[in-house]
Amino acid sequence: MSDLHTPQAGDDQLPDIDVVGLLMRQHGDIRNLFDEVEQSEGEERRDAFRRLVRLLAVHETAEEEVVHPFVRSAVDGGAQIVEERLAEEKSAKETLSALDDMDTDDPKFLPMLMRLRTDVQEHARAEERYEFSHIRRSTDVTNLAAMAKAVKAAEAMAPTRPHPGVESATANVALGPVAALMDRTKDAVRKAMGSG
Amino acid sequence: MTFNPLEQRGIPLDRQLRNWRELNVQPIDPDRCDPYTRCRIITMNGIEVEAILFSHQLARNTVDPEVKRQLARTRYIEAQQQKVVNWLLPGVSSVLETTIAYEQVAVDLTAWVARMEPDPYLKQAYQFGVLEDFDHLYRYANLYEMIEHRKAESIVDNLTEVMPGRPTRYHHRDAYDNVRDPYDKTATDPLSKLHALTIMSAEQQTMNFYMNTGPTYMEPIARQLYQEIGLIEEEHVTHYESLVDPGETWWEQLVNHEYNECYLYYSFMEQESDPRVKSIWELHLNMELEHLHTACDLMRRHDGRDPQEVLAPELPNVLTFEPNKQYLRELLDTQMDLTTLGAGYVREAHERFEKMQEQIHGGEAPPSDRVMTEHDEMFGREYRVQTEGEHPDPAQREK
Repeated sequence: MSDLHTPQAGDDQLPDIDVVGLLMRQHGDIRNLFDEVEQSEGEERRDAFRRLVRLLAVHETAEEEVVHPFVRSAVDGGAQIVEERLAEEKSAKETLSALDDMDTDDPKFLPMLMRLRTDVQEHARAEERYEFSHIRRSTDVTNLAAMAKAVKAAEAMAPTRPHPGVESATANVALGPVAALMDRTKDAVRKAMGSG
Repeated sequence: MTFNPLEQRGIPLDRQLRNWRELNVQPIDPDRCDPYTRCRIITMNGIEVEAILFSHQLARNTVDPEVKRQLARTRYIEAQQQKVVNWLLPGVSSVLETTIAYEQVAVDLTAWVARMEPDPYLKQAYQFGVLEDFDHLYRYANLYEMIEHRKAESIVDNLTEVMPGRPTRYHHRDAYDNVRDPYDKTATDPLSKLHALTIMSAEQQTMNFYMNTGPTYMEPIARQLYQEIGLIEEEHVTHYESLVDPGETWWEQLVNHEYNECYLYYSFMEQESDPRVKSIWELHLNMELEHLHTACDLMRRHDGRDPQEVLAPELPNVLTFEPNKQYLRELLDTQMDLTTLGAGYVREAHERFEKMQEQIHGGEAPPSDRVMTEHDEMFGREYRVQTEGEHPDPAQREK
């Protein structure tokens, strides 16, 4: 692999005025972190896996709070589309929780991570094809931008790479279990949506 | 090499039909497959698509209803082969990921053929074309990082370098200059016929893929880049198809098609790393042997000639997917500034070329340049994979 680093969505120089483009780039960020976990070991793997768990939690929560409600209410047949996505998410979350309790050096860790990766990737492509396309079709630019802002608020809640200068603040956010992180993300998104 | 398809029998045609269960193949794992397994799949899909389209054209030019029916029977099996082969590609891959794999095929397949081609004029045609596919890979790789935040090396896996080739903006030539001279069917090496058919089929599939999938993108720069490169693929099909001697009869062409399919399935069976995929190449080889015999019978009956007159006495060396990095670097060093004039090549921009450039660009930067500008705005750099050092052409080194 080359030394080029791809900054995560929100950290690249795009204005992020389109929630769909932002979420699609985040799907790539998640895959990059899966690569990092697979290719590292020991402490490095533990660290990469923590960042993966954070990004997954933040990303899925943001989608549940921002994307799914919109599709459910604004898209014809949206409830069905969202139900299918939620079922995929539920199974991925279960695997994620099981992994979260496991040591990254456990011999069962990598096979389970592979399963999670497959589930997450299939879920991400299904969102891109069956959900995101509706969003771009049925909403205006203001709304796309407002949704992007809310997703970025979620990201700020649990940055996966500390921004220079704010390390202390982010490092001090005790992560705790996945569920607690999701709850905090939810609050942040709702606040951003309310003030947006 | 002792394998002579003319002397082998395969599976009888009436036992080649597969049911839904047999057609429902398990796709490869996009994150863990051998990139050259994916390249072989894409190549064979292009070969099967050409087989089907050629057979349709032949049927439309055939009067005898019994011959039409015979062609239809073989063609239906070929349609099943195409389904099995192309359905090995995974549904989770995006169009852009498949596109990058298509360009890896175009680079490493064309480079290998250029290395092995005995005829200097044909060799030059492949050398000329490969530097353009090489540049397309670079442009799409930058688009990929913009849209999906992923690096093309996760697809091409450092087997193929990603850096500028002949700049895409210069690929737009007056159509008059896209037509080459054909080989002479009576004098050329039989291997040259197989090479021309293979590269023509691969480029045709790439053209079809871009013309159909390009508009599925919503991002304006993606839509425009597919439009631009899609047009160049048409130029490439024109370039390669004109290498084939138009004096070959329909039946002779049919025999060449079937023989080439045997050659490629045999080649890929010999080198396949994925045992499941290897068994498909083997099965399809055994099907193609019968298609070849049917085609040979048709040629004997309609042309009154023996197919052995036009075919190689035995299969040539296996066609191989392998890295061609040093070869490509030599070409980058020596052939970047070529363009075509009539059926030949020149280094200077001539009047017809300049007029075309002026008209198509309309005073603006083409999508292939804008994708680099937009990528730079987003990341403050470009995306390249240069495993063997900096670019051989100083003008193309990253600033």
